[in-house]
Parts: sequence; structure tokens; C-alpha cells
Amino acid sequence: MQTLRVALLHLRVGVMTDLQYRVNFALQVLQSLLALATGLVVFSLVYAHTTELNGWSQNELLVVLGVQIVMGGVIRAVVQPNMMRFTEEVRDGKLDHALTKPVDAQMLVSVRQVEVWQAVDLLTGAGVIVVALIRLDGGVGPLDVLGFVTALAVGALLLYCFWMLLATLAFWIVNMWHLPELFEGVFQTGRWPIGIYPPWLRFSVTFLVPIAFAVTVPAEALTSRLDWETLVLAIGFACVFFAFTRWFWRFGLSRYTGASA
Amino acid sequence: MAEPVVHVRDLRKTFDVPEREAGLRHAAKGLVRRKKREVKAVDGISFDVASGEIVGFLGPNGAGKTTTLKMLSGLLYVTTGDARVLGHVPSKREREYLRRMALIMGNRNQLQWDLPALDSFELNRSIYRVPRRQFMETRDELIELLDVEDLVRKPVRQLSLGERMKVEIIGSLLHRPQVVFLDEPTIGLDVTMQRRLREFVAAYRQRHDATIMLTSHYMADVEALCERVIVIHHGRILFDGDLAALSETVAAWKTIGVALENGSVGDLSAYGEVIHRDGDLVTLRVPKAETARVTARLLAEQDVLDLNVEDPPIEDVIELVFAREAPE
Amino acid sequence: MSTVPASLPEAGRVRSWVDFYLTSMRTQISSQFQYRAAAYMYLLGMVAEPVIYLVVWTTIAEDSGGTVGGLTAGDLAAYYIVWTFVRNMNLVFTPFGWEWRIRDGELSGWLLRPLHPIHYDIAGFAGSKIPWLLFYLPIAVVLTLVFDPTFDVRAAEIAVFAVAIWGAYLIRSFNQGALGLVCFWTTRVSALFSLYIMVELLLSGRLVPMTLMPDWVQTLAWFLPFQWTFFFPIETLVGDYSNTELLRGLGMQVFWILVGIAIFSLVWRHAVRHYTAVNN
Repeated sequence: MQTLRVALLHLRVGVMTDLQYRVNFALQVLQSLLALATGLVVFSLVYAHTTELNGWSQNELLVVLGVQIVMGGVIRAVVQPNMMRFTEEVRDGKLDHALTKPVDAQMLVSVRQVEVWQAVDLLTGAGVIVVALIRLDGGVGPLDVLGFVTALAVGALLLYCFWMLLATLAFWIVNMWHLPELFEGVFQTGRWPIGIYPPWLRFSVTFLVPIAFAVTVPAEALTSRLDWETLVLAIGFACVFFAFTRWFWRFGLSRYTGASA
Repeated sequence: MAEPVVHVRDLRKTFDVPEREAGLRHAAKGLVRRKKREVKAVDGISFDVASGEIVGFLGPNGAGKTTTLKMLSGLLYVTTGDARVLGHVPSKREREYLRRMALIMGNRNQLQWDLPALDSFELNRSIYRVPRRQFMETRDELIELLDVEDLVRKPVRQLSLGERMKVEIIGSLLHRPQVVFLDEPTIGLDVTMQRRLREFVAAYRQRHDATIMLTSHYMADVEALCERVIVIHHGRILFDGDLAALSETVAAWKTIGVALENGSVGDLSAYGEVIHRDGDLVTLRVPKAETARVTARLLAEQDVLDLNVEDPPIEDVIELVFAREAPE
Repeated sequence: MSTVPASLPEAGRVRSWVDFYLTSMRTQISSQFQYRAAAYMYLLGMVAEPVIYLVVWTTIAEDSGGTVGGLTAGDLAAYYIVWTFVRNMNLVFTPFGWEWRIRDGELSGWLLRPLHPIHYDIAGFAGSKIPWLLFYLPIAVVLTLVFDPTFDVRAAEIAVFAVAIWGAYLIRSFNQGALGLVCFWTTRVSALFSLYIMVELLLSGRLVPMTLMPDWVQTLAWFLPFQWTFFFPIETLVGDYSNTELLRGLGMQVFWILVGIAIFSLVWRHAVRHYTAVNN
């Protein structure tokens, strides 16, 4: 557990550094609210033309929106900064610093960096979920909450694995510049019920980019439509994905040679 | 008498620098009310540079050298005073003026990163509206002078630091500027590169009758290139004239380097200021007037193996100048 | 010692300007081909946004008996596929680019040159579009096969479209350029830019065809430049404009380009003044 301790230490340093920049906090809140406002405007536009989208009412879809915002916050706060820093270090040949430390390299490159203020989205998303749940008839039972928390954890793990896989590609592909933007674009699919997508797209955002597991499934838990089979499938898929990610990382690392000037 | 190329009268540049104290409470207060401090980067300097001159600006960090160059190239506007280059007011950044001058700062990347330098040169040609034939002449000449023929076809990102600097310089001179400002041009370069660069600057000046102003810390740059030196410190000019005259005016000293048979023993301070001691080799600093007498005494009273009388090195001269003027 | 010559030998002004544009475009094309993997990734990822919109609105249309706001699934497909093309054309030098340019010191380099950097931005991005469009064609083909758009175009519409996409490009170039100049005063331009993008999303036809927006929004959009960057170019091809309407639309684009240039020039003058006060 030395690795974990080192990881947490890094995290703490990162947080303390970020906390110095108060203005960033205010700006982040502003951006978060802007993004939320946009999402709500889009929703109201959609629901001006219809009452139900693929069986999801507006309030139910708000839950989905809330979960998507929370997940987005998690990614932008802890996953993306690390992955992007890693790809940059590979490109600039500076990875050796990380590799020569006496802790597991994958763990280290995954937790060093944190953008604290992006975590504002966690609060925004949580707020949306709470508001949506209040407006929903049919309450939320303890089983639903349990399912939600599990699905959320599994979903986060899956998204991390996805990012880790992509980042590992940096060992071969030099230019990973556009990755955050691209992900952001595809991640928007999570705002809508995946049932509306054509089968090929549905498959892609479930198994290729695990957005369905990260967003839809937890939302289904909270809106009482989750069946335990889906949850088991999610957990199973996460284990497989994680194992594959780990293997791919080791494979890439073994092929890695420091970039020379 | 021709108009001076560079004309500076009572030039001043003042910066308002916000004052920040450490601590959270002060940071919070700082959001509401900012305390400002006035920094006089350039405090009333005047000089003229004639066409074809090559002038060295000498001074420690923060003396105002780079600030002056930036004002003369239009990157900073003047607080008060008159600055004119080639008849233009630099801060107006008139196109006609920009096409005739160049400011070369170390470590600037103006060329396209992913493409061969030659492609970037073409871009500069169209930016500066250089006629094609003249462009090709100048380009080939500069490439030859700096010996970078095989480098200009490689993407710039593949070049080493020194190589990149060379092609960047070519890029900056393609339009055959009549006035060239060089800001610390040899910083970060190895000794060979430094020498090459100095030779290049001298050659360029000669071929194109350009007027050159350069700032540097390195005495060797100034010694090798400049006939005229302007010493600047705390934003004021301390000296403006010949390099040799500098030594004359300020330092009425000579150094005597002596190798003694048994120099490690004995107190030599009776002869003069001992500024360096390395086993049997001793360096003394003596007032110029005393030189002959001290030399005679040394030869008579000590076992001297070898003796040298020299002008003090420029570094020391400058140090003495600064030491004099320092606390203001 | 020689005297300073009164005037320099110089190449013609217009010719040099054209030369610069062509050279910049050429260098950008070269660059894009070098990094085509990254370009492809970007283009592919960009497709996600309109596909999502398309699927959502098609679902609504199907739930509402085949049309929404008078648009069939085929109409929607046509709109969003042309959207991707227009989106490509709309990519310009962003305020983040300005932020980087100032921070990196590249701006000082431009201030020393007798050419405004905006020419470099406009020429460069214009050049990039050529390889992008090439890369984009197979994606367009796939989208057409998958989503089955209905198209009904006249020759005049195609001609106007070819011009309108460049009009959209210029409007956006100057608007975002002006926004980018805010970086001279603050490093926190991203919040402002987010606000701009949000407003643009809703009022430009980027989210949905403007006809699906409530009436008051459509009226508001008339007083702003946004709909001339997305909705108008798309509609020239997909919609049913008369020739007069087409020409009037181009006229509006010209108007907004001029407004953009005016605002940009004004802000630029102040920006340079601010920068040359302290220049770091």
C-alpha cells in the first residue's frame, strides 16, 4: 500500500496548489453553471416538441443529465489531467522521471495530477440529480441508491480504463493533442437515452466508449429501471476491461524507449 | 553631416509595478486595493548613433538595456523623451520602419516548427515585400555566411539549439534591415558558436552598411565587435565612448602579474592590492602612476621568475564603474 | 559611411499580400498532411455532435408522426450532414490561440513585422480547410449512406453555398479574433469564450434549425451575426430560398463581416497600446 500512500500524497499536493487560485474557483463555477444552463435550455427545447423521449420523461432525463455532469467532473478533475500529462511526457521524452520511481508506474501516472476546480461539476451534477429526484413521483429506495453507487463506481472505473487505454497509445502515436475535445464530443451522447441511437452507435457508446455504463446505468438505478443483470454485466465488463487495460499498459511500457532530441 | 540613424534624447521609461506581500490576508486586500511602486527602468538617456556604427550596450541585469532596445524597436512605448530611428518614431510601428529594421532576441521561435526553414523564409519574403531576386541573393548569402546549407531543408524542430538560432537569425535578416538590434545574442551558446556569431555580425555590417546596436553581458562580444560602448546602469548612462577610453577614464590602474620563486610565503600587500594568488603566481593591482616604482621594487626585493604589466580586464573596469555608482 | 536611402526597393503591395496568403496556405496544407492522423481523429470526433442532434430530433419526429416543425427525418439528416461541412469551414483561430500567442512571446515577434497577424490566422486556417475537406469526404459519404438525407438543390443554391461558407468563415474569424484580443487584458478569457459559444450554439442554427426555435428566439437571432455562420449557409443548400433571399443573405454576411472587422480593428488598437505599455 506504499503505492496508495504515494498516490494520495501527490493528490494532496495537487489540491493544495490549486487551492491557491481562488479566482479559478469562481470562474469554474461560472463555466459549470453556463454549461448547465445550456443543457437545460436544450432539454426544454426538446420537451417543447415532445413529452417523452424513448420512454424517458423530462425529469427522468434530468437525472441522466446530472449523472453525466458528475461523471464529466470526475474525468476532468482526476482522469484527464493525468492522462494528458502522461501523453505529453511521452512526447517530450520526460517519462523517465515517473518510471524510475519505486512505485507502480501506471498508478503513479494515473494519480499525480488533479484539477481541483473541475470538481465543481460534481456539486452541480449532484444538485441536478437531487432536484430531479424531488420532482419525480415514485421515490428512490435504498436498493436503488445501492445500485446507483455501485454503478457509479463501476462506471468511473470503466471510463478511467478507457482513458488509460487511449493514453497508452501515446507510446506509438505522438500527437494526442485533441483527445480531451474528442472525448467531450462523444461524451455528449451520455445526455440522451441510449435507446434512441442506431444499433451501431449504441454498441459503440456501450462497449467501445463505456458511456452507457458510466452514465445511463447509474441513472437507470436512480429511476428504478435498472435490472440486476445489467449491473452484473457492468461489473463483469469492468473487470475484463481493467485487466485488458493493465495488460496493454505493460505491453506499451515494455516497447517504450525514451524519445531523443 | 548626415542625420543620425538612431536619435535618443532624455528617454525615460517608468513601470508601475504592483506590490505584493506574502500571506493570505494581504492577497485578499490586494484584490481590492493595489499598492503600486514606480520603477524607473530607463531614467533619462541620450545618445546618437550614426549610420554604419556598431554600438555595444553594457550593463548588469535590470540596467535598462533590453528596455531601451524594446523602445527603439517599437515594442514598448516611451514614457517621456524623444526616440527616433531612421527618422521614424518606433512606437508608431509604421510599416516603412518595420521593413527596415530587425530586433533579434535570443531563444525566439519565429519560424514554422514543422517545416523546413526555407519555407518560413518564403513567408518572410512576402511579409516584408522583398523583391524576389534580392531575396534570393540575401538568403543565399546569409546561408553561406552561417554555413547552414544542409540545415535549411530539415524541419526546424529537428535542429539543435545552436542550429535553430542560426536559421532564426537568417529569417530575421532576409529583408536586409538597415538597423539591427541584437539583444543578448550569444546567450546560451557555446564558445565556438559565440565566435561564429560575432564574425557573422561583423561581416553583415560590413556587407550591408548596417547600423548595429547590441546588448550583452559578455565582454568578449563587446570587445570583439564594438568600437563604441555605452555603459548603462540603473537606467542611466555612465559612459559613452571608445572601449579603450573607458579604461583610461575610469580605471587608473594596472595589473602586475608576477611569478615568484617562493611567492607563497611573505606578505606582498606592501607592493599593492593582491587581487589573486595561486601558489607562486600573484596578481597585484597598482595605481598606474606607481607601476614603474612597484615593478622595480619587486625585481629588486623578490625572486622574480616572470613579470607582466597589463591593463585591467574589462570586467574589472565595469565592476569598478558599477561599484562607484551602485547605491542611489 | 553611406546615407540612408529614401525608399527601399519593394515588391508590389497587392502582389505581396496575395503571395503571403498563398504561401501561408501552402505551408498549412503541408503541415496538415504531416499531421493527418491527428486531423482525422479530430474530424471523426467532430461528427459526434451533429449525429447526436440528428438522432434526438429524428426520434422526436418519429414520435410525432414523422415530422417535427415541418421537417422530416430526411430533411433533418440533410441539415446535419451539411452542418458537418459548414462546421469544418467554421473552424478559426480561437481565443485560446491568442492566449498562447501572447504567453509564448510570439506576439512580440508579430509586432516587429509589417503585417498584421490576423492575415496569418485567416490565411492559415483557410489553407487547412483544403486537406480537411479532402479527409472529410469519406466521412460525408458514410454519413449519407447511414442517415439517408433528402436533398433538392438548384445550381444557384450551390453557387451561393460556395460563397456563403467563406462568408461564415470570415464572420467567425473576426468575431473570435476580437474575443481573443481580450487576452491582452486578462488570462481568464475562457469563461467569456464559453459564454460566446453558448449563445452561438442557440442562436446560430448549430443546435437545431432556427425554424425549430421559439419565435422570439428567431427574432432575436436576426439582430445578431450568429445565424449567418451556420443556419444561412446550411439552408442555402438544404432549404428553399428564392434567388432574392439567397442574395440578401450574402449581403447580410458582408454586413456582419464589416462589423466584425470594425470591432476587431478598434479593439486591436487598444490592445497593442496596452501591450506596448508593459511588454513582457
